[in-house]
Amino acid sequence: MKNQLIKIPTILFLSILLVLFYLLVIDRDPSKLPSNLLNKNAPEFVADSLLDNEKFLSKKELNNNITIVNFFATWCAPCREEHVYIKRFSSEKKIKVIGINYKDNPEKAIIWLKKLGNPYSNIAIDKKGKIAIDWGVYGIPETFLINSSGIIKYRHAGQITKKIYKKFNLLIKEIN
Amino acid sequence: MVVTLGNLTLWLSFFFSIFQFYNSQKKNNLKLISIAVKGLLISSLLSFLILVYLHVVSDFSVLNVFENSHTTKPFLYKVSGVWGNHEGSMLLWIIVLTIFNYFIYKLYNNKNLVFISKTLSVQSFIILGFIIFTILTSNPFEKIFPVPANGLGFNPILQDPALAIHPPLLYIGYVGLSAAFSLSVATLNSNAKQEIPWFIYMKPFVMAAWTFLTIGIALGSLWAYYELGWGGWWFWDPVENASFMPWLLATALLHSLIVVEKRKSLQAWVLLLSILAFLLSVVGTFLVRSGILTSVHTFALDPSRGIYILAFTALLGGYSLILFASKSKFYFNNNFFAFFSKEGAILVNNIIMTIVCATVFLGTIYPLLIEAFTNNKISVGEPYYNSTVIPIILPAILVMGVGPILSWGKENKFLLLKKILPSILMTVLMTIFFLSIYRSYTFVGVLGVLLAFWIISNNLYLFYIKRIYHSVGMVTAHLGVGFLILGITSSSVLQEEKIIRMNIDHNVEINKYNIVFKRISEVKGPNYIAIQGNFEIYDKKNNIITKLKPQNRFYPITNNFTSEASIHTNLFRDLYIVLGEGNQNDGWVVRIYYNPLVAWIWIGAFTIFLGGILSMRDNFKKVKKIS
Repeated sequence: MKNQLIKIPTILFLSILLVLFYLLVIDRDPSKLPSNLLNKNAPEFVADSLLDNEKFLSKKELNNNITIVNFFATWCAPCREEHVYIKRFSSEKKIKVIGINYKDNPEKAIIWLKKLGNPYSNIAIDKKGKIAIDWGVYGIPETFLINSSGIIKYRHAGQITKKIYKKFNLLIKEIN
Repeated sequence: MVVTLGNLTLWLSFFFSIFQFYNSQKKNNLKLISIAVKGLLISSLLSFLILVYLHVVSDFSVLNVFENSHTTKPFLYKVSGVWGNHEGSMLLWIIVLTIFNYFIYKLYNNKNLVFISKTLSVQSFIILGFIIFTILTSNPFEKIFPVPANGLGFNPILQDPALAIHPPLLYIGYVGLSAAFSLSVATLNSNAKQEIPWFIYMKPFVMAAWTFLTIGIALGSLWAYYELGWGGWWFWDPVENASFMPWLLATALLHSLIVVEKRKSLQAWVLLLSILAFLLSVVGTFLVRSGILTSVHTFALDPSRGIYILAFTALLGGYSLILFASKSKFYFNNNFFAFFSKEGAILVNNIIMTIVCATVFLGTIYPLLIEAFTNNKISVGEPYYNSTVIPIILPAILVMGVGPILSWGKENKFLLLKKILPSILMTVLMTIFFLSIYRSYTFVGVLGVLLAFWIISNNLYLFYIKRIYHSVGMVTAHLGVGFLILGITSSSVLQEEKIIRMNIDHNVEINKYNIVFKRISEVKGPNYIAIQGNFEIYDKKNNIITKLKPQNRFYPITNNFTSEASIHTNLFRDLYIVLGEGNQNDGWVVRIYYNPLVAWIWIGAFTIFLGGILSMRDNFKKVKKIS
C-alpha cells in the first residue's frame, strides 16, 4: 500500500508536465473558442461606470438593442489595434457598443480613449476581473454580440481583424 | 572586446560545471572539486559583472543593452535593468546557484566526504542545466549590428528602488531551495544506515531560502501597493503565485525539519517536501517565462525556451521523484504524535501549508488543464483564492499561536490551559480595544483581528517569561506573522475608497480627514515629465496633517504613462491619493484610499525577515558543532 502511495507524486508531476508540453507544442488559437454562454442570457452585473458617476447596470444597458460588449484595457496591445473596428461598429453601423475596462487604471483608460476616440456608449469598470470571470473571458480583447433580448449570440476571443469585423456584420444582419 | 570576455566567462562557467560534475562522481578528488567550485563561482560572477558593466556604460552594440536600457536612465536602474529582463535575470540566477554551490562545498569535513560530493554533483547538474539554457536560448551577450545610437529604454513602471532589489532576494529564495533539493537527492542516494545528519545541513539553506523569499515577496507586494495605484497589494497573479507556492512549502519544510531534528520523525516527508519545493520554483519559472500563461510580468516570448525548461524540469523531477519512490522506504518511521504537542501542532501546520499550496497550484494551472482537455478557456481570479485559501489557512493560524508554547511529546491539557490563559485574556482585551477604535464588526474582520492578537499575545508572553530554549528568531518571526495578519485583515476589511472628480480648491472627506485640492503644477524628472496634484490634508480640528503630491508621469522614450500614488503613512493608517485625468474646467478624477494599519504588513514581513536572520545564526552554529 505504502509503496503504491509514494509513486503518486511522480505520476502526478509527470502527467502535469505532459499536459504543459502538449499545450506548448499544439497550435493554440485563442480565437477558436466556443462559449458555454452561447444562446444564453448575458450574465448580469452592477459596476462603477468609467464615464459618469452613476452605477453601470447591465440590466439597463443590455436591453432592447443589439449590443456589442467589448472587454479591453489600455495595457493590452491588440485592444489598441482592434480599436478602429470597434469605432466602426458605432460610427458606421450605428451599433450600440458597451466597453468593459478590464483590470485597468481608469485614468489611463480615459486618456487612452481621448487619444483614440471613444466608441462606447457606456463603460463598466471591472477592476478585479470579476465580470470577466462571470462572462467566461479568457484573455482580452474579447468581444460578445448580444441580441435585443439580452442573449449572447456570438463570442470572439482575441483581436477583431477585418475578417472578424465582416463576420460580426453578417451576424448582426442575421439577428436583426 | 568586453562582450567577447563576457561570452568567454559564460563558457568558462559551463566547463567548470562539467568539471565539477565529473569530479564529484569520484572519490578523494577534493582538490579538483575545490578548483571547480571556486572557478565556477568566479567565472559566473565575472560574466554577471561584465553584463552590469555593459549596461552601465550603455554599450548598445549588445542586443540586451539596446533592448532594455537608455542613456538617460538613472544609474541605479541601469544596474537593476540587468536583471529586469529575461536574459540578464538568468545570469543572476546562475550566480546565486554558484554561491550556494560554494556554501555546500564549505560543509566538507572528514566524516561526510562522500555525501557532500554527491550533493555537489546534483548541484552542478542543476547549474549546468541553467547555463546550457542561457547559452542556447537566452545569451545576454548577443551582438547587434549596425550599432544603434540609443536604447529602447526600460519600462518606467519597473524603475523603482523596491523592485530593483526584489528579484535578487527572490532568487536567493528559489535557489536556496535548490541546495535543499541537492541534499535531499544525495541523502536518498546514500545508505540510510550511515545516519548522516542531512537535516542539520539542510536547515540553514531552507532557512535562508525562506527568509529571503519572505522579504522578496513582501517587497514585490509593497511595490504593487504604491506603484499600481489600486490601493491593493496582492493580486493573485500567476507570477505572485509562482513565488507564493515555494514559500508555502518552504514554510512546511522549515517546521518539519525541526521535528526530524528533535524526534527523528517525518524524514521521508521532509525529503519529499524539499524536492517538491525546488521543482515548484522551476515550474513557476517555466509558467512565467514560456508565455503559456498571461500575466503582468511579461517577458519576451520564445517557445524554444519553454520546451527547454520543461524538458529540464521533467529530467530533474522524474529522476528525483523516482529515486524518492524507490528509496524513501528507508526513511519511514511509525511514530505516533499526540495532538496536543509541539510536533502535533507542526504536523497540522504542514498539512495545511501543503493543502494551501495545492489549492493555489490548482488555481494557477486549472485554466491550462481545462484548455488541454476540453478546449474551453477560463480564467481563475481573486474570488477563487479568497474563498478557498482564507478558510483553509485560518486553523493553521489558530494552531500557530499556541504551537511554540506546547511541549514536545505530550502536553498536559490542564497545564496547557494554565499556560495560555494570560494570552487568551490579552487577546480578548486587545480585540475589544481594537473594535472600540475601528468599530467594524464583520465576521471575517473580527476573526482575523482576533487571530492576529492571539499570535501577538502568545509570542509577547514567550518574550516576557524569557524561556531560553525558545529561539529568539522563532519567536520574532512568529510575532511578525501576527503583525502581518493584523495588517492584512484591517487593510482589506476596513479600507475606504473614494473615486471622485475634483476641481481646484474643492475638498472631500474620507474617514475623519478633510482633503483639499490646492493646485496643479508641472514637474520635470530625470527621464520623465509629470503633472502633479497638490493636496492638503486636515484633521477634524482643522490642523494640517500633511501635503500629498500624486503625479502623472509621461516617459517620452518608452512612450509610457504612469501614475505615482502619494501616500502618507503612520502606524494607524495610510492615506493614499492617485491623480487621474482631467483639466482646469472639468476638474480631475481623484482616487483616495484610507487604508487602516496597512504599514503592519511591511512591519510584519520585516519582523519575519529579522526572525529568519536570527535563526540562521543558530542553524549555522549547529552545523559547525557537528563538523
